Amino acid sequence: MAKSDDGIRILQGLLIFGNVIIGMCGIALTAECIFFVSDPHGLYSLLEATENDDIYAAAWIGIFVGFALFALSILGIVAVIKSSRTLLMVYIILMLITYAFEMASCITAATQRDFLTENHFLKQMLERYKKSNTDNNNDKRRSEEVTKTWDKLMLQNECCGVYGPFDWQNYTSVFRITHSDADYPWPHNCCVTNAQGSPIDLNGCKLGVPGYYHSKGCYDAISGPMNTHAWGVAWFGFAILCWTFFVLLGTMFYWSRVEY
Amino acid sequence: FDNTVEPGSPGRQFQQFPSDAKAYMTLNTSILNYPCPKTPGEISVLRVGSETSCTKDKNRPTCNGPLPGPGPYQVKFLALNDSGPVAETAWSEPITLRTAQPLSNISTAPSNHSAAMIAITSILSILFAILLATLVAMLLCGTEPTCGSSTFSKPEEVRVQRYNTHHVYDQPAARL
Repeated sequence: MAKSDDGIRILQGLLIFGNVIIGMCGIALTAECIFFVSDPHGLYSLLEATENDDIYAAAWIGIFVGFALFALSILGIVAVIKSSRTLLMVYIILMLITYAFEMASCITAATQRDFLTENHFLKQMLERYKKSNTDNNNDKRRSEEVTKTWDKLMLQNECCGVYGPFDWQNYTSVFRITHSDADYPWPHNCCVTNAQGSPIDLNGCKLGVPGYYHSKGCYDAISGPMNTHAWGVAWFGFAILCWTFFVLLGTMFYWSRVEY
Repeated sequence: FDNTVEPGSPGRQFQQFPSDAKAYMTLNTSILNYPCPKTPGEISVLRVGSETSCTKDKNRPTCNGPLPGPGPYQVKFLALNDSGPVAETAWSEPITLRTAQPLSNISTAPSNHSAAMIAITSILSILFAILLATLVAMLLCGTEPTCGSSTFSKPEEVRVQRYNTHHVYDQPAARL
């Protein structure tokens, strides 16, 4: 049965190779998801305030799934070399469970990304930025986090509002309750500042003279990292799962051929 | 519009506008504030409604306070010297101020699901379904030993034992 033996050898070799790739991709997935969870752009508070932070849940799942893939790939290599039916069955079952979790993570990341539109952030900004009469501690904490995040965003990215500074003119907001339209047509963080941090011409900023206020909207600065996060988790996970699909099919076929 | 009425006199006070005074005069400044040529880096802006502190102060009839309603308003410039008005512009077009929409009007309903999300969900679901079906088939098939065409045997562990061979010519005592 030399021909069949050769075929089996090739299948073993392919399965081991497939498991090596899965192991490496598992480590890469863990690293990528740890990077996203660490929130280098500080945007988590914007999502948490509206309880729409499932993208971070997807990244957390990704961390554990990546590690599980690495461990299972080692188990898979051992099982293929030993040609043990029990080990292969354990490997297949655990891989399917991991597959299901990773599938959940990818679908969550992709679906949640679709919820994060410009209007979503606009409404939240108008409802929470510089909110003063908060209902309870939770509300107060969230509003303070949102205010801090927006201030940092507007300062670092030289932008104002979601679509632009006229967001505060076009809609009512909690900001408008405490800050009159005459003094603050838009927050003073939207003004171009000098080296000391104060606006170079407050009247020019209030009037909207080009060059004295930031007329760009901040949505690009938010959606850029958000998109990278969501698509990084979703598409990389999808690629891993496609590869794992073939390795698992091969493993199941191999299992059915092992004599017991 | 009678341009001989002094700024700040009754009938021209900010605090009486718009009920008792049909017009008010504000943003009074002197010619020294508008030098020619302009100081580079400075901009001259005239913002109606900047002073919020003197809105109710009757001692400041030329207060540049915030306008009381959405309008429409008309503005004109008036140049005066000691003897009275020397020049004035025509009335501007009526200006209506911006009205803010209530924030509840913003609809946060997401637009259609993106193509990427649909592709990911459907393809992954199909692949998972195939895997589960194959697993079930494999388990059902695996319980019957005659299922499948050929099986292969596990690699046997062949043990080679070392034998100590006694060679006749290795016994030096026999040579003697």
